[in-house]
Amino acid sequence: MSMDRRLFSAGMMAAASASGGQAPRRANAPTPTPVPTGPLPYLAGNPELARFNPLKRILFHDDFDNGINGWAELQANHNGNLDDLRPVLKDMRPPQLSSCTFFDLGTHGSFNGNYALKLATRPKPFHTAVGVKRFTYSKPCKVQMEMWFTYKAEQTFEGDGNWDGNVSPSELNFGDFTISNDVSEGEAGPRYQCALRYLNTDLEGKLVQKWMYKTSLHATTKMERQGVQAQTDDYHVLKTSDWADVPGGHQPLCFNEIATKVNWHYLRWVFDIQTRRNVELQVNELTMDLRNIPVPIYEQGYRSLNHLLNLLVDVRTHKSVRNFLFIDSVLVSVDG
Amino acid sequence: MVRRSFTAVIEKNATFSAPFETEPYETGWAEEARWFVRVLELDGQLTLTPQLSPDGLFWCDDEKVPMVVRDKGLYTLSLRDFGNWLRLRGEFARTNSSAKMMIYLALKE
Repeated sequence: MSMDRRLFSAGMMAAASASGGQAPRRANAPTPTPVPTGPLPYLAGNPELARFNPLKRILFHDDFDNGINGWAELQANHNGNLDDLRPVLKDMRPPQLSSCTFFDLGTHGSFNGNYALKLATRPKPFHTAVGVKRFTYSKPCKVQMEMWFTYKAEQTFEGDGNWDGNVSPSELNFGDFTISNDVSEGEAGPRYQCALRYLNTDLEGKLVQKWMYKTSLHATTKMERQGVQAQTDDYHVLKTSDWADVPGGHQPLCFNEIATKVNWHYLRWVFDIQTRRNVELQVNELTMDLRNIPVPIYEQGYRSLNHLLNLLVDVRTHKSVRNFLFIDSVLVSVDG
Repeated sequence: MVRRSFTAVIEKNATFSAPFETEPYETGWAEEARWFVRVLELDGQLTLTPQLSPDGLFWCDDEKVPMVVRDKGLYTLSLRDFGNWLRLRGEFARTNSSAKMMIYLALKE
């Protein structure tokens, strides 16, 4: 881990130099090695970062071999009394550091190293586990979140005589996972949320494997205390049907046949705080243009959220089977 | 580097009125674990037994003496050499009992 950090520091200096920064030089100092031109040359020297494609300024690179890195359970608002938690948000489960260990093969390990961030639902229909990283933004710009992830349903043992030896019935036990943000420009500006969901199975249990975006916002604590009634099956939206297909968003991912084989996927999502829009989503070979999809905005103003920028990942089961989202590492960068 | 630690809130003001097990929690990275149970309301007597698992699916009791809860308050139990998963099993001494609790799992390298 210390080696990784040394390489990262050197890389950041190289980036600054490449972007035109001039450090004072002593007389007779050796001529510095020219830094190659092109985007972020320091990536080539660091395999941990070279698997990403960041914008010009990296805000954070979270490798879960180093700990939880600030990805916390999404906590609902309260005034000291946890009995007042909104039902939909009262049980979002603590994140776990997972070695991806299974009953049949033992420890799989993560994409790199031993540990991944794991979000795990309860075995209860529509239960959702949510991890959030909370920070603020300095100026309106593009924000890019990249991650290496995989998803699984918990092994079940009911047996299925119709199993064909290839496609596991456990793939049908996985519901959906979602990446989202929560952005607030403060008392004078709006608050909005982008959310992109990979719907593996629909609510009838059929495999649909497609990307969707939300078309409404869930009631906030403030709205619920003003009398708005909120459903409890989907914390993202007002009505559970408030999702629309991302154009060109059908994408079978690599579940890999059974519940205990882990194949890591690359995801890159860009949104723009200046335009209050998504920009694009890339998952492995598929890149989806998101600039024209609408992003819902809260009508009310919210205090104490100046320049709020939260990133969230969640997993939701549709059945009485635990669903898991594993994340090996996350990198977030900005262009401003 | 300082030692890493993590506290997971396993249950928040949850009320149980029948035998139960908490959700599985992965602990393979940690060397020390300590359960904290804050009992907010209690009707009856509750026994809390730490359980271990190699895979998060199949469970056995830890060899330690379980916690016996007879009143409201904060209770604790520490564990070492626990493998990859932990959970708590709760059992009431009689039917028609209930307990409202905060349950924490404090982990340390």
